[in-house]
Amino acid sequence: MSHWEVMVGNKAVAYAAKLARVQYIPAFPITPQTTIVQYLADMIANGDLDAEYVTVEGELTAQASALGASMAGVRAFTATSGPGLLYMHHPMHAVSGARLPIVMAVIHRSVKGMQPDHMDMMAQRDTSWLMMECENSQELLDTGVMAFKIAEDERVRLPAIFSGDGYILSYTAEPVEIPGQEEVDAFLPPYRSQVPMLPELAKECREYAIAQWGVGEDPQLRWRRQQEAMDAAKTVISEVNEEFEERFGRGYGNGLVEEYGCEGAEAVIVAMGTIASTARTAIDNLHGRGKKVGLVKLKTFKPFPAEEFRRIGGEVGAIGVIDRNISCGSGGIVFGEVRSSLYEMNGRPRTLEFYAGLCGKEVRVSDIERIAEKTMRAASGERVTPLVEWV
Amino acid sequence: MIEVRFHGRGGQGAVTGVRVLATALYFEGKFTQAIPMYGTERRGAPVVSFLRVGDRRINERDLVHEPDMVVVLDPLLGRTVPVTEGLKEGGLVLINHPRSGREAGLGGNFKVSTVDATDIALETLGRPITNTAILGAFAKVTGMVSLGSLEKAVLKQWPGRIGEMNVRAVRRAYKEATEPVNVSDREGVKVRPPGLFERDVSSWRVFRPEIDEEKCVGCRRCWIFCPELAISMEGEKARINYKHCKGCGICAEECPVGAISFTQEKILEGRE
Repeated sequence: MSHWEVMVGNKAVAYAAKLARVQYIPAFPITPQTTIVQYLADMIANGDLDAEYVTVEGELTAQASALGASMAGVRAFTATSGPGLLYMHHPMHAVSGARLPIVMAVIHRSVKGMQPDHMDMMAQRDTSWLMMECENSQELLDTGVMAFKIAEDERVRLPAIFSGDGYILSYTAEPVEIPGQEEVDAFLPPYRSQVPMLPELAKECREYAIAQWGVGEDPQLRWRRQQEAMDAAKTVISEVNEEFEERFGRGYGNGLVEEYGCEGAEAVIVAMGTIASTARTAIDNLHGRGKKVGLVKLKTFKPFPAEEFRRIGGEVGAIGVIDRNISCGSGGIVFGEVRSSLYEMNGRPRTLEFYAGLCGKEVRVSDIERIAEKTMRAASGERVTPLVEWV
Repeated sequence: MIEVRFHGRGGQGAVTGVRVLATALYFEGKFTQAIPMYGTERRGAPVVSFLRVGDRRINERDLVHEPDMVVVLDPLLGRTVPVTEGLKEGGLVLINHPRSGREAGLGGNFKVSTVDATDIALETLGRPITNTAILGAFAKVTGMVSLGSLEKAVLKQWPGRIGEMNVRAVRRAYKEATEPVNVSDREGVKVRPPGLFERDVSSWRVFRPEIDEEKCVGCRRCWIFCPELAISMEGEKARINYKHCKGCGICAEECPVGAISFTQEKILEGRE
């Protein structure tokens, strides 16, 4: 049986790990993630969760030690933020390379300060981890549970990050529905490792190494396998999201993108995480004024839902992308991905770029209304400048 | 949707208080959002948190800039922090103050209700943690939440003895909160944010230490232990610089001859 509780985002994340019956939690504290592992430590101490909790000496070890556990067939979970995630970068490649479905919560913290932006996660863009962004505490809990099922699917077998903005979600309390343990158990089967590890499995181990990593044959194969798994993950994410919706009554678009007020829209704005949440209010306000503009919430950043954007691109005149990140020298990372998805289209829409919320800069409803109105003007054929704007 | 801003000091429980209130309002069937503002807080430093209450899931994730109501957990905070900034015209201020709404040092196009939360907290909890007392007054002046839901939320946060002490604080404040009064004809005390190097923390004190020069033996223990360097030695006698004293009480605790007394600060309307 599910029940409701008013709780902060970090507690919702801890509940996701508990409901998934994680067995191994190597953790190192860093604000604003710390209370996640504190709640989990409480749950273990109170006998509510049967898991091994290890206080490691740093994030690199947290990830490396989760790698060992996951390979041995134990469901591993860890959480981190900002600089802690940067420190984890090296073993993250090893985890995805070994095709281990570790799930990690990232509570965003700027890499240049304390307040949130998405630069910590975007710095891990090429580590072949699945990345799913959340806009509220309920979504953090639900996505956490789904992440295990997606990552552990045999077609995927890649590690997954589910993330939310630090402070804005981590410490903000709001009502959250906590599904019953038996319902989650029915949804999420126990984890089994696919990596042959024991000495007597030497032959299987060699076969696995050749098939998965191309050992002794094609050194490029491991990347190709990861890319194939990423492609397969799109289908798996949609399936898992659909099944979750059937069982628990909550779904998030098709699991990859969530469209809000997009029916008959002449233009759309694209946003991730809490900015997408605030944008819902902005879209409501604009609809109230008769403006035909919608919101596309980018729920899954990796694998990037290029097909969805191509479809949306065919329906609207302009897409305004809000980036809470920047790849200096190039530009917004989501903007780049959206644009490259649209390139092969005939009659592709115009694209506008907005930087907002970096280093935790507040993004207000009025900011997003302005962004949406500018995108509307571009859609109507008006010449708008500048095409790139710092909000 | 109703938006409320809470002003308090580190240690008064502004963040926890808002969370408890969000839970109580949830028991009333409301969707809520309790947003703390984290920075480099420490005991006594000004803190802010926000509450949103609505009938459906609240999507706004920005801060509250134009609150319908402001709650102030400290009587002197308004001297250094512009507590009524952005408050909607005709809005409501609930402030922890021993005097009436018209004598709480606030003026403008809004109403003011008061409750002596410090006194209530000291009597029910033995500590100047004013959050639960202010919540009792909140229930009374807004009518948004019933006493029953509030008590249930308090006991959920602190099960057992601590919770029961806090329930007493809630009930007393519910009884003692004053009716909101119009202060549009009043002029508020001028807000003076402290300068960067000024280090004036005198308004942070709930208790005031006094040195009895007759009893002081000049041992310098208070001078050594004062964390704020607020004690200097004049000859063989210790002297307190009240501008730098936060009233932590360490000096009184350390004094071997009991020369330092510790009494509650009197809050007068015009105290600067």
